[in-house]
Amino acid sequence: MRRFERFWSKLAKKAEIHTIRTKLILSFLVIALLPLGIMAVFAYQTYYGSLTRSVTEYSHEVVNRMARDLDDYFSDLEVLLTRDQDFYMDQLIKLVDGNDFNNRKYVFRIWEDLNNLHRVKPGLEEISLVFSNGNRLSNYGLYTLDFPSFRTQFQLNRQERGIAILGPHRNFMDRTVVTMVKPYTLATAGNAVFMTADVNLNRLATITDVRLGTSGYVFVADELGRVIYHPSDEEIGTISRFFRDDIPYGFVDGFGDHESERFFFATAHSPVTGWTVVSVAYADEIGAQIAPIQRITLVVIALILVGVVLLAVYLSHALSRPIKDLQDLTKRAANHELTVHIEPQGNDEIAMLGHSFNKMIRRIQELMDENVREQKLLRKLEMESLDNQIKPHFIYNTLDLIIGQLESNQNEQASCLIEALGSFFRLSLSKGREVVPIASEVEHVRNYLFIQQMRHGEEYQYELDIDQDILDKYIPRLLLQPLVENAIYHGILQAERKGRIFISGYQRASDGTIVFEISDDGAGIEPDALRDINEVLRGVRSLQNDKEYFGLRNVNKRAQLMFGEEYGVVLESELGQGTKAILSIKPIEEDPNV
Amino acid sequence: MSKIWAKGLTIVALGIVIGLCLSTASVQADGYQNDELTIAFLPRSLGNPIFLDAFEAAQKKAYELGVRLEWVAPFDFDSDLQVEMIENLIRRKVDGIVASVNDEEQIHRVFQKAMDQGIPVATFDADSPGSGRLFYIGINNYNAGVEIGRALVDVIKNKQLEDQVLNTMIMTGYREAVNLEERIRGFLDATSHEIKLHVADVLENEDTVEKSIILLEDYLKTNPEVDVIYFVGGWPFYVTSDALPNFRQWAQEGGIAVGIDLFYDALLLQKEGLIQYLIGQDMTSMGSLGLELMVNYIRYGEVPPKVVETGLEHANESNLDRLLETHKPWLVK
Repeated sequence: MRRFERFWSKLAKKAEIHTIRTKLILSFLVIALLPLGIMAVFAYQTYYGSLTRSVTEYSHEVVNRMARDLDDYFSDLEVLLTRDQDFYMDQLIKLVDGNDFNNRKYVFRIWEDLNNLHRVKPGLEEISLVFSNGNRLSNYGLYTLDFPSFRTQFQLNRQERGIAILGPHRNFMDRTVVTMVKPYTLATAGNAVFMTADVNLNRLATITDVRLGTSGYVFVADELGRVIYHPSDEEIGTISRFFRDDIPYGFVDGFGDHESERFFFATAHSPVTGWTVVSVAYADEIGAQIAPIQRITLVVIALILVGVVLLAVYLSHALSRPIKDLQDLTKRAANHELTVHIEPQGNDEIAMLGHSFNKMIRRIQELMDENVREQKLLRKLEMESLDNQIKPHFIYNTLDLIIGQLESNQNEQASCLIEALGSFFRLSLSKGREVVPIASEVEHVRNYLFIQQMRHGEEYQYELDIDQDILDKYIPRLLLQPLVENAIYHGILQAERKGRIFISGYQRASDGTIVFEISDDGAGIEPDALRDINEVLRGVRSLQNDKEYFGLRNVNKRAQLMFGEEYGVVLESELGQGTKAILSIKPIEEDPNV
Repeated sequence: MSKIWAKGLTIVALGIVIGLCLSTASVQADGYQNDELTIAFLPRSLGNPIFLDAFEAAQKKAYELGVRLEWVAPFDFDSDLQVEMIENLIRRKVDGIVASVNDEEQIHRVFQKAMDQGIPVATFDADSPGSGRLFYIGINNYNAGVEIGRALVDVIKNKQLEDQVLNTMIMTGYREAVNLEERIRGFLDATSHEIKLHVADVLENEDTVEKSIILLEDYLKTNPEVDVIYFVGGWPFYVTSDALPNFRQWAQEGGIAVGIDLFYDALLLQKEGLIQYLIGQDMTSMGSLGLELMVNYIRYGEVPPKVVETGLEHANESNLDRLLETHKPWLVK
């Protein structure tokens, strides 16, 4: 089974059955051939049935006619043999009985009479008067026969109405004949006298001369199955191989099997002779008669098939060509060739699909352009963010601080600061990665806070409370640091008093969003300004000056580019109390750089 | 003694049983009994009544001799069918065949076949001299021709017409029949130097009575000027003169007719003056003596002479009345 499936699969692949065009062709063929096949089978069955009926009727008609002809012929013969009070015969019989041989005028008249009958009755080979002394006076003259045997045969074959039909046998002239015998009744005749008529079997051949197919034939047999006439001389006189003594007249009427061959028999009984006319037709020859119709049907089917195939090929081509074009264009589009354009024809489903395809390609192109723009913007924002971190005065001040510490022998502090600065820059660059682990980003912020704390003394305290569960998730780099910088410079340092910065990070249980809150207790923001900033961040209002709220907008924009409009930065603040910057991002579970 | 009796009875019983078996087998095989000879006669045709004398005589002789007689022939003259019949007689193993030959050439082969199988063959009426037959019984046909020729010469001279060229028609059966040709040859030989006959036509009636009558009547209707008719056989004489109106008229107007075959109906025509002279052959002897010679040959090995002449009978004005008394009417027509 598997082998078959594999074979079929290979074959289907080779024949490209998987293509729509092939499927369409096959579908059309199936649709066309299925009714055609049903019609052909139905027509064949109908014709075969009709043919069988015709053969049956024809065969019966033929054998019935033959039986009638036999009856007519032998009835006529019987009439010929019926002689009541024939003067010449009566006189001759009397002379024969008395051994008186002065019989010339009777003999001559009888010869003339018999000869005339012989002439006028086709098939009548000999007609005679048989005497009990064995003399037979016929149109051939006078000769002798074995009278006891003749009489015995007559008695054995005698029918109810007194006649008998003997034979087939060879007659005086060595011709195969059947003999009708009728007693000649003469009141004064002491011995039996018979009238006989020999019928040449050629006459039966004429009556039964019908060809049934190539090998079919007609034969005649008596009630004991003995063949009276058969086209094959060898069969004459033998018991027919088809004879059965368990059915009326001894022969099957209809289909029958014999020695592994199937035949069709039609039989008709001849009451006058007591014989049965049997036609034998070979069943396979009857079937063979349908061969021309089969051939014509096959030719018609073949022509229709060719027509159907051509039509199927044309239709499938017409239907599949736009699909194929679409497939080719799709392939080209898949290979980044987004300039492709299909020209739909008509307004069918495929044309609609073409329109949709074109629309889709345009949309993809737009999305890709947008993506490119966004990526460019993202890169630009990253670079700006990076540039913002690597401000010269931040570096100079930090380096000056380190120098001061070294000069004041605060080597350990200097060392820590250098280490923090180095770590700060390393994490800022992050090997050029767009996304870094939250732990790295937090460390980067921690370094920044440490450095700034070194720079600005103990003016503020800071605290980080980052949920451990989010440390191994990922975040676009440099998102937190600008917000912390804003808290230091615009919150704590603006308040000119000691302050505190609190950074928390957690994952919101309701929707899984990662939220960072950077809070300070610094100067706070005036409500109008706060509203103005948040409107800018929400994109409700645009700014004339790109430098304005640079850090916030940079972080907000990058967050939204990466995760969508619902993410970004929102500020909460109370003037004189402090500000909280809330950054929400979509959690990134896996390292996208891998 | 009793053992000898027993042995003797056993042998006799076995002999009877074997004899019965052989007898039965023979009957079943061909219908003939061993102790009875079957002699087949073949006239030229059944339809020619001239053979009826021979037929009757042969039947009587067969009864006397205790043999079976078969008398078979085509009803109408048919050489092929006669040959076929002889073939079948050979197949049926008759004991002897006596035939009036229709076609001498055809008959040779089948006669030879019969003789090869031990069946003696003889001829009557019409001979086949070259066939090797046992004997021929009949007339000397040439002499019969000569005799009728001489009779005609006498008739012509009596009418003092010997210096006139007389248109003559000859009616025969078949030109192939040797006996008929011999009769013509003898007739012409006998007349050629005595009278001036011009043989205008030779008609063949296929050895049938009906055709001979039709031919004769038609001929005389179209050729009433013919002076002499020579009938090689008596075919048209089986009817009365009423059935031959043209012939009667022609004869009554001076036509001269002579012929071979002499029988009652022919004598009546002669009595009417329609025929001037007839010569007859003894068909009775052909049937009777022919059968006897054949039986004696088979039974006793008595070899007959090669030719047995049965003699000729003349009918003229001097003996016509006597002949009419001695010949029986046939009334076959």
